[in-house]
Amino acid sequence: MVVSPKKRLQRCLQVAGPRKEITIASLGCLIGTTLLLLAVQLYQDANHYLEQNEGPKNYFTMNKKVEGGALVNLGKKDESFSPEELQAIQALEGVKRIGGFTRNQFPVTVYIWPTGKVGLGSAAKADLFFESIPDDFLDFIPGDWHWEENATLVPIMVPKFYLDLWNFGLAPSRVEYPSLSTEAATGMPIEIFIGRERTTTLDGRFVAFSKRINSVLVPESFLAWANKKFAEPAKEDFFFLWKDSVIDGPPRSRNQLLEMVEEPAFSSWKISPLGDPAKKVPASSLVGPGKKKAQPSRIILEIVDTPSTALLQFIEENHYELNREFPEQDFIKKSMSGLFLGIAAVGGLLSILSIATFASSFRLLVSKASVHSRNLLLLGYSEKEITSVFFFRFLRLFAWNLSLSILLGIFCKYVIMNEVKEFGIVLNPWLYTNSLLLLALYSFCFLAVNRLVIKNAVRELTA
Amino acid sequence: MLIELKKVAPFPLPSKVIRESEIWDANVSFPAKSASLLSAQSGMGKSTLLHMIYGMRKDFSGKLLIDGQDTRGIPYQNWEDIRRSSISMVFQDLRLFPHLSARENIFLIPTQNGAVPPMEEMADRLGMNAFLDQKVFTLSHGQRQRIAIIRALSKPFQLLLLDEPFSHLDEVNQAEASILIQEITERNDASLILSSLGAVPPLNFDHQYSL
Repeated sequence: MVVSPKKRLQRCLQVAGPRKEITIASLGCLIGTTLLLLAVQLYQDANHYLEQNEGPKNYFTMNKKVEGGALVNLGKKDESFSPEELQAIQALEGVKRIGGFTRNQFPVTVYIWPTGKVGLGSAAKADLFFESIPDDFLDFIPGDWHWEENATLVPIMVPKFYLDLWNFGLAPSRVEYPSLSTEAATGMPIEIFIGRERTTTLDGRFVAFSKRINSVLVPESFLAWANKKFAEPAKEDFFFLWKDSVIDGPPRSRNQLLEMVEEPAFSSWKISPLGDPAKKVPASSLVGPGKKKAQPSRIILEIVDTPSTALLQFIEENHYELNREFPEQDFIKKSMSGLFLGIAAVGGLLSILSIATFASSFRLLVSKASVHSRNLLLLGYSEKEITSVFFFRFLRLFAWNLSLSILLGIFCKYVIMNEVKEFGIVLNPWLYTNSLLLLALYSFCFLAVNRLVIKNAVRELTA
Repeated sequence: MLIELKKVAPFPLPSKVIRESEIWDANVSFPAKSASLLSAQSGMGKSTLLHMIYGMRKDFSGKLLIDGQDTRGIPYQNWEDIRRSSISMVFQDLRLFPHLSARENIFLIPTQNGAVPPMEEMADRLGMNAFLDQKVFTLSHGQRQRIAIIRALSKPFQLLLLDEPFSHLDEVNQAEASILIQEITERNDASLILSSLGAVPPLNFDHQYSL
């Protein structure tokens, strides 16, 4: 049998290595590499998923802080922004534009028919609210996003995560509610009942799911029409009536008070707002300029990047609240980064320890074979040839480790993929090119360090 | 290959040994295609000189030149080439691999000398054919010496260094080995330097030195 010179050289230098150390190093390398690979891969998977489902970063909503309990807030003061306040906010550094939320001024109840047909199966019933914002603040304008008087259908836009809540919260807990794809959800008929007595019924439909606006939106034209037609007096339109320094009866609406203008004593009466009974003003002040235009109590801001210091200070000073739309993604991202960094750190540490153990084991191996190595060098073999014999031995071991790590990584990812599938998260079953490139770089470093150690150990033999 | 010693004196050797030597602290040259014998008792520096020529030792004063080049200035990589293709050596301690067979030991050389008879023929001439597949640790010292000689001859060389190669060989084997060495050295147009404890091997030497 003809044996190649390389094989002959390998046979000559075949000495038993420190088995225990090499086993520990291999195990460390296997676990470390797998953890690193998984951390990099899952970080990319998670980022990829979040990017696909993420709302834009530079949209915020702002409102005045709501404080106190429910009873206090029943007679609350006006929380809307005055035109001066809006002007001041618009002028702040970094604020590109602002838009006001208009809300419904009438009670709304909706029946959602998930079966796709009114009257078939069970309807999801809820008291709801509607808001509208200028169309150019929407992340996109759906095709059906228009409404004009006498239109048969009211288009509705809800946040995408409402659908997730339905699918992963409501539907699994109620047998009568099916899970819904986006397409199925947009096909559901919705009955909209307006007024306390549900005197008016309109048909509605979800036309889109927003990733930007955290509200139940309808077109501005519809809300303007509906508010005009169905509006009930707002709380700020109710007043206490003071006759001879005593509150007379229950709070009265502006219209009720205006009907009393003709009474002889009207000019001596006083009124005070519902939220601040002590703030008395003459009842005659109601007469004169008409009702003020309704001001928004919640506004949406588009800012240049992250909120500026001036904006944050302004918010603090004026007791406003700034809400990033879908801020939970930030938290998820931070948690994920922390988690993956942790996994990568453990993997990296194990890898470094395994490199160190491999290095010392192979130094020992070279040293055990030092007599034969020296003799081979004296026969004319080069330092490189002797180094390559030991390095090839290490390479074989590392290749096994790396292959097992990749298989283990793919297996772990497969398990995780099946686990998260239940939450509607679909992951790519394979490793990303970036992960493989990083793995290649990692392998290169791992091999380079060990090759250097072996080379130096062999060089010491020539001294 | 011309070897020149210019006032070379190994550091570890006592000054008395150096003073009485024909080699140490003198100007001596070993011309190309010549055969030289170094004879001396133990401890006079025979192996030291051969190791110095082979680039294994640098602990000496004076200058040692190979083809006019000072050996101190030869980088390690060049020594690799020299050992691979220009100088071959039979070490006193043989430096065989006991866990390999005799055949494997002979084949375990970086480059093969094209101007030598087949390995089996050389082994046959030295009475080693029957032992080629035996592990070296099972062989006697004399048998190992013959394997080391065959291995050294199997490498390409312009200079053959033999450090007491016949110390454990009987006269018959010495004669056979000498004929083979002489034949192959001539075939390679090479020179040889052989060290001996005192006995003169049956080779035609051009120069004989006493250390």
